[in-house]
Amino acid sequence: MKLLRHDLHLLSGVYVLDAIDSDVERDRYQRHLARCQSCSAEVRGLREVTTRMAMAAALQPPPALHGKVVAAVRQTRQLPPAADAQPRPGRWRGRLSGWLPRLALAAATAGVAAAVVLAIILAGAQHQLSIARAENRAIAQVLAAPDARVLTRSTSAGGTATVIVSPSRRELIVTTAGLRSLPASQVYQAWLINPRRTRPAGLLPAPISGKTRPLLATGLLPGDQLGLTIEPAGGTAKPTTTPILVIPLGA
Amino acid sequence: MMAMDPGDIQRAQPEAVPGRGGEPDLDGLLVLVARGDEPAFEAVYSRLAGAAYGLIRKVVRDPAQSEEVTQEVLLEVWRTASRFDPAKGSAATWVLTIAHRRAIDRVRSVTATAARDHLVAEPAPASDEVAEAVEASLDRERVRHCLDGLTELQRESITLAYYGGYSYRQVAGLLGATLSSIKTRIRDGLIRMRDCLGVSG
Repeated sequence: MKLLRHDLHLLSGVYVLDAIDSDVERDRYQRHLARCQSCSAEVRGLREVTTRMAMAAALQPPPALHGKVVAAVRQTRQLPPAADAQPRPGRWRGRLSGWLPRLALAAATAGVAAAVVLAIILAGAQHQLSIARAENRAIAQVLAAPDARVLTRSTSAGGTATVIVSPSRRELIVTTAGLRSLPASQVYQAWLINPRRTRPAGLLPAPISGKTRPLLATGLLPGDQLGLTIEPAGGTAKPTTTPILVIPLGA
Repeated sequence: MMAMDPGDIQRAQPEAVPGRGGEPDLDGLLVLVARGDEPAFEAVYSRLAGAAYGLIRKVVRDPAQSEEVTQEVLLEVWRTASRFDPAKGSAATWVLTIAHRRAIDRVRSVTATAARDHLVAEPAPASDEVAEAVEASLDRERVRHCLDGLTELQRESITLAYYGGYSYRQVAGLLGATLSSIKTRIRDGLIRMRDCLGVSG
């Protein structure tokens, strides 16, 4: 039976879920994908959804796995690049824990001038690292609070905001995914909204892959609602635009 | 190991500060892995082994077999890193697509089917890195929220196919629906998920 073009388009979903068990059908769809640009764009987007679903299923791997994988890696030759591969830019934004030893090694082979520059950078980086760790600890404490509740809502600027609130700690964490990206002159600002007093609760950091890192807000009062507005870069003392989101916190 | 001149270090510096856009760039790490860089592979491991293992456990269920499949997947990542093309999708997607395919291969092979065990309770997720635990719990919450926004048939079809490892024919049989309606429901549901999660292709 020959499938109509229209039917082939509909296979994008089951294809990204690896749910096509017929090799014939899968091959036909793959050939179609190679010719259909809108289909391959759709598949790319839907695959990112499955990636989030996989991330959401994460578990701590068995401790022995790491050693086995590293041992296997040391004995396994890698494939050379495919003949038609394009040279890729060599940019590498590594995580700090991997980056520091690499830089230190680089400095050992580079000149004294480089070492001086490096020392200055490392001092700053270590400071940033300790700030990041302290923030993570505070965030972990909110997550671990017995009364912590998680609320997720869609915003009028697209995407979602997730709030983890602990009334007993009078703290909350705000994070977002998929909010409309803003020009450099604007920023998303969080507010604790209360009939008596509305207070600024911090600026959302710049998104990474569409997600913003957790923002910790403190000083929660009974009756507070969380609001998000778009404000000029640097933030303001009072909201100047209509909130894209208001969530009652039930505190 | 290449020596870096001070100019290189200064260019690299703003990207290495954590907390402000400092999330490790997996795409760049995989490019290094393709050149045989073991520390880069370690970093990829620490970022993605948990997701790969968790996903494989969902599909395969049996812990020992899941560990085996995870090991095969991570070794394949090492071996074929030169074939990763950032233009076609993110590094996480590349790795986790391999993980899902290998898990499916395992459950669709006849020998494994008998060993598939539905009795294993899901262990509580644990992570020794607080930041990763935070990210993982937020990912879980977002995915749950967005799955909740689907129709029941969309949600069941997607979770049976992706987490359950069933083919869409099997999903149609399980849910008593036609093949074409399952195809459509899964595609519509994933498109809704995409918009809800705010991911871009």
